[in-house]
Amino acid sequence: MAESLAVRFAKPAPLDQERRSSTLARVNQVLDGFAARDHAGEMLTAVRHYPAREAQWAAFPEWIHKDLQAAYTRKGIRQLYSHQAAAAEAVHAGKNVVIVTPTASGKTLCYNLPVLDAILGDGDTRALYLFPTKALAQDQLAELHDLNQRLENRLGVFTYDGDTPSDARKAIREKSHIVLTNPDMLHTGILPHHTRWTRLFENLKYIVLDELHTYRGVFGSHLCNVLRRLQRIAKFYGSTPQFICCSATIANPGELASKLIENDVEVLVANGAPAAEKTFVFYNPPVVNRALGIRRSYINESSRVAQEFLKHDLQTMVFANSRLHTELMLTYLQQANPQIPGKPETIRGYRGGYLPTERREIERGLRDGKIRGVVTTSAMELGIDVGSLDAVVMAGYPGTIAATWQRAGRAGRRSGSSCAVLVASSAPLDQFIVRHPDYFFGNTPEHAFIQPDNFEVLINHLKCAAFELPIGPTEQFGEVDVRDLCARLAEAGYLHLAGENYHWTHESYPADTISLRSVTSDNFIIIDITGKPLVIGEVDFVSALTTVHEKAIYIHGGQQYHVEHLDFKERKAYVKQVDVDYYTDAIRYTQVRVLEIANTERRGPERVSQEYGQECPSMFRTSLRHWRSHGDVLVRSQVVGFKKIKFLTNENIGAGQLEMPENEMHTTSYWITLERALLESLPYSISERQSGMFGLLYALESVATFLLMCDGRDLGTAIGERPPAPGAETEELTPMRMEEAIGANAKEFFEPNLYLFDAYPGGIGFSEPLFRAHELLVEKTRELIQACPCEAGCPSCVGPAGDLAPKAKEAALAILDRLCG
Amino acid sequence: MAISTPLDKFARLAALKPACKVAPRDTTLRPTDDTDLVGRLLGAGVARNDFGEHLAIRNWYSTPEFCQPSESALDLLSRVTGPAASKAAHSAGRLFPHYRDESAALRTRAALENPEKWLFLDTETTGLSGGTGTYAFLVGLAWWDAGGLQVEQLFLRDFSEEISLLYELSLRIAERPVLITFNGKTFDWPLLQSRFTMTRKIAVPKLAAHLDLLHPARALWKLRLNSVRLVELERHVLNPDRLGWHREDDIASSQIPQFYFDYLRGGRPDPLTGVAKHNAMDLRGLAALYGKIDGLLDERENNLTGTSPLDLFGLSRFMNRRGEKHRAHSLCTRALDAGLTSTFRRQATTELAMMSKNRGDWAAAVSLWKELACNPRDGIAACEQLAMYYERRGKDCAQALEYANLGLAKAGQAKWLCREPFAAGRMEQWEQKFRRRLERLRNRMNLRKSAGRLPLPDSTRATGSPER
Repeated sequence: MAESLAVRFAKPAPLDQERRSSTLARVNQVLDGFAARDHAGEMLTAVRHYPAREAQWAAFPEWIHKDLQAAYTRKGIRQLYSHQAAAAEAVHAGKNVVIVTPTASGKTLCYNLPVLDAILGDGDTRALYLFPTKALAQDQLAELHDLNQRLENRLGVFTYDGDTPSDARKAIREKSHIVLTNPDMLHTGILPHHTRWTRLFENLKYIVLDELHTYRGVFGSHLCNVLRRLQRIAKFYGSTPQFICCSATIANPGELASKLIENDVEVLVANGAPAAEKTFVFYNPPVVNRALGIRRSYINESSRVAQEFLKHDLQTMVFANSRLHTELMLTYLQQANPQIPGKPETIRGYRGGYLPTERREIERGLRDGKIRGVVTTSAMELGIDVGSLDAVVMAGYPGTIAATWQRAGRAGRRSGSSCAVLVASSAPLDQFIVRHPDYFFGNTPEHAFIQPDNFEVLINHLKCAAFELPIGPTEQFGEVDVRDLCARLAEAGYLHLAGENYHWTHESYPADTISLRSVTSDNFIIIDITGKPLVIGEVDFVSALTTVHEKAIYIHGGQQYHVEHLDFKERKAYVKQVDVDYYTDAIRYTQVRVLEIANTERRGPERVSQEYGQECPSMFRTSLRHWRSHGDVLVRSQVVGFKKIKFLTNENIGAGQLEMPENEMHTTSYWITLERALLESLPYSISERQSGMFGLLYALESVATFLLMCDGRDLGTAIGERPPAPGAETEELTPMRMEEAIGANAKEFFEPNLYLFDAYPGGIGFSEPLFRAHELLVEKTRELIQACPCEAGCPSCVGPAGDLAPKAKEAALAILDRLCG
Repeated sequence: MAISTPLDKFARLAALKPACKVAPRDTTLRPTDDTDLVGRLLGAGVARNDFGEHLAIRNWYSTPEFCQPSESALDLLSRVTGPAASKAAHSAGRLFPHYRDESAALRTRAALENPEKWLFLDTETTGLSGGTGTYAFLVGLAWWDAGGLQVEQLFLRDFSEEISLLYELSLRIAERPVLITFNGKTFDWPLLQSRFTMTRKIAVPKLAAHLDLLHPARALWKLRLNSVRLVELERHVLNPDRLGWHREDDIASSQIPQFYFDYLRGGRPDPLTGVAKHNAMDLRGLAALYGKIDGLLDERENNLTGTSPLDLFGLSRFMNRRGEKHRAHSLCTRALDAGLTSTFRRQATTELAMMSKNRGDWAAAVSLWKELACNPRDGIAACEQLAMYYERRGKDCAQALEYANLGLAKAGQAKWLCREPFAAGRMEQWEQKFRRRLERLRNRMNLRKSAGRLPLPDSTRATGSPER
């Protein structure tokens, strides 16, 4: 970032202009090459050109401290982009703001400017910067240090996280004007020891939340509670901090921010930063087996695309979605571009797990152009400064539109022409995106949701809050009855009422038992027993059931492990390294019972028989209607077996039976009820209908994860008979059998409920938004299945054809036609 | 330590002034009501102040008896240890020693001068994790009085009494601002500081000095006892028969939080009497421990007969780290004479050799190293020292070569024998060091042969800093 700002005002040298025109020519050459290969016109599903955009300038506000302005001037920044000035003014006016900007638009200046100004004006002022990862904090530290040096080191700026040496901590607590940290450290290290941070909390004026869009789902719900605790402590010390948030482009930044900080927020969306000319290409690997919907490996295709760019001497960054793929593509590209003896390697890998010094070296190499290509994971997606690149290749859809734009933003940070290519995998989401480019390039539909009042999350943070300060009689903590919860915690032995306040009366340290990145802290340790036993990782309880059951293939750091033994009681999984060409997919049998319906609505057209016209008696009306609902459910699930699935082809090559304990979970769910008439109007056999419903649910889940910006693991699916009344006794959860779970068509459904439930106890707030977005969800699902060129289902739409009855895809579409009306 | 610097005078003057002007106050306790079950059980009275009331238990004990602290013990205890100290010892005689550490040590030393200002402190808490959710529900204080020990324990009947208790504590500390604790520097005092901060009403009291006996105890007895918990020290270091109390029915400290929680929730308060007793014994043990440490460190009392050889060795190390090289040397010699088990004997010999080397007593050092080098299982470092000695001082390249070779062989053997990867890595480093040394020695011998009688240079400047 520092560098990009510094060169912003340099006159484009003639050489640079020459280079610019030549990059344009070369990018076009590469694109022409792709187009020439695309005989069927199926590969390049979208090519969008974005012309260069001029910067919109604004002067430094009058009130900015002269020294600060001078420091920025010395850095080469003489005026601001319009959005930077607007942000500074809004912060100066005392408002909470959220700034929505794309990558490389100088957003750090938006918060550094008003914060540093306030500190220079009053040396007691303190600010807290929160970043989702340690690496980002380090990067911002470098930027702030540079500014600080130009201000004669008048400021104390430090990171405070798990890596901070303990002898430095005391000084940091006292002297730091700006503390850069992450939510986890705030939660376990700072808030429970707030008495050591008196200076900070007494003078806390600003809290900066960068990369706001990452605080969604579970993490966001936790963060909201951490912020509640933070604001509570600040109030205790007499300060009311103001929030400055920065977010990538999502649909509801203002809603997310105000929900997180539980206060009004001003949203600033205008962007005054200049942009270079850019081309965005969607690349769908060619189909090799049309019947099964199998395409050429997107990893190989990505390498090939990247190699095209490299051949034309365009500096290229390749993004992979896993470490394994990083290494694969790195090997391929290094073989294609062998190191010239005596010269440094021109193609490098960059991901978590590399040493900091090595990372810095690669970043430098990218900036000065010595490194021509880099293969990376999401490690480079968030604000690390590597200067501009000519091309970005994404192997697989990164999961969210926001992340895709951030990765694409890595190309063409400065002037010049650049290109970003998204190479789709055969996952449903990828296929949906590349086949519906308008959807991607149009307005962003992605919403970030949080559910801070999830009972499990809230109660744990309430414990932490009580540990930090006794809970007084009038205190608020979310939308719940705090007194009642406290009384219950007191009964359980955690709190004690003394006078009017509830005090913590337990020996434990509650923050230690809560991880912000998952709902429950119960987890399994994974031990590699290939050689000397070695702990290689951990998985949370819920995923453990499906990922480390016995005989599962567990993939960690690109290495496959076979799970030898799962010690359920001790929460340990013993694994051995193997090298096989398949992975395992657990078969989970899930039953859902509706406990309470929060909202429900009958939808769809009523078809009236021709004979009677409008006077048709109700008994003769054929109603093809369905219901959308959401509410509380009890989910009982059990892993009953697993399938072995071959890599790349996704063939099912075997199965096994498992006996795992049952798991019950109280959560929230959204569901669609298909009325009997609707089902009976389908011209298919019973088993085709059933298969169609499962296929439909498969596709619905894919689209829902896309709309909710969540991970596939965050949602669970199930089909069940519609109960006569919620919670009725007749609706018994029957014992589970593997055959039922696999076949899924052993019994006929008359009025099925298709459930999409939150896969976390208590729910994390997906159900209600899904209920609201019902129409959009159904419509997009229809588009997804319709646009899929496969014949009878593939992993990209309704699921692998082999798992379903022959006409499942047709049946699913027929249901969707009726749902869309 | 000779007291002469002007800085020291100021510090002493500062310590003579009362730390805080305290008006004489009424400290009488009101008897507890009949309904106050816990107060009755603990034999407590009710203390009252502007912030409310809490319980206080007062007892005077004839044991341990008052121990007049000796000058030399106080000097040693107030001295800063660790790397800073060894550096300071190194730079002794230079113009500006480590001023800050030195002045802090002098201030501590001056504050310790008057035992009337001493306050022994030990708390019982609702947990060991620290942080703002841990409360000190029983704060035990003790001070020397009338030749014995006056103990006062402040007790919270409920959390609402905390401010009143802390206020009382702040007054007590103002009267006696020198804190003596066991592990109080890392646990009790930070916890209390946190409690004071959280009142937002009572400032954290200023201490004139804080002496944590855990550190000297660890240095002195860790070798012999492994665990230096206060109970262990009472049993194995102090004379249990002469203490005047015994811990037969003592409670386990891990139970304490639960006892208190049970009481808060309306359970029976009986176990709390055990807690109060436990706390009182800890305070008395703490005071007695001071007497023991003082006796060991007192330079006038050369009578260390009956002290176990391991304790002598511990004492020697303690002295060594605080720059008392002379006493450290004589104690180490005594420990070796008194007989140590093989492991400790090796350690002590190694340290004695280093001490002899630093004093310039090369003959003694060499003979000790030779003794160490004879040990077939160890002595790698001694071989290096000998090689270094013969190369530079003894001017005997052949001997140096011989010991370097021996060291290399020992390291190689140890590398094959040890199973731990880190240890193997260390041995690898040793091997490399010896190889480099051997190469250098051979080069030099060849050079000498070829150049006839070219004298050896005095020291090997090539190696840079002096090797130790």
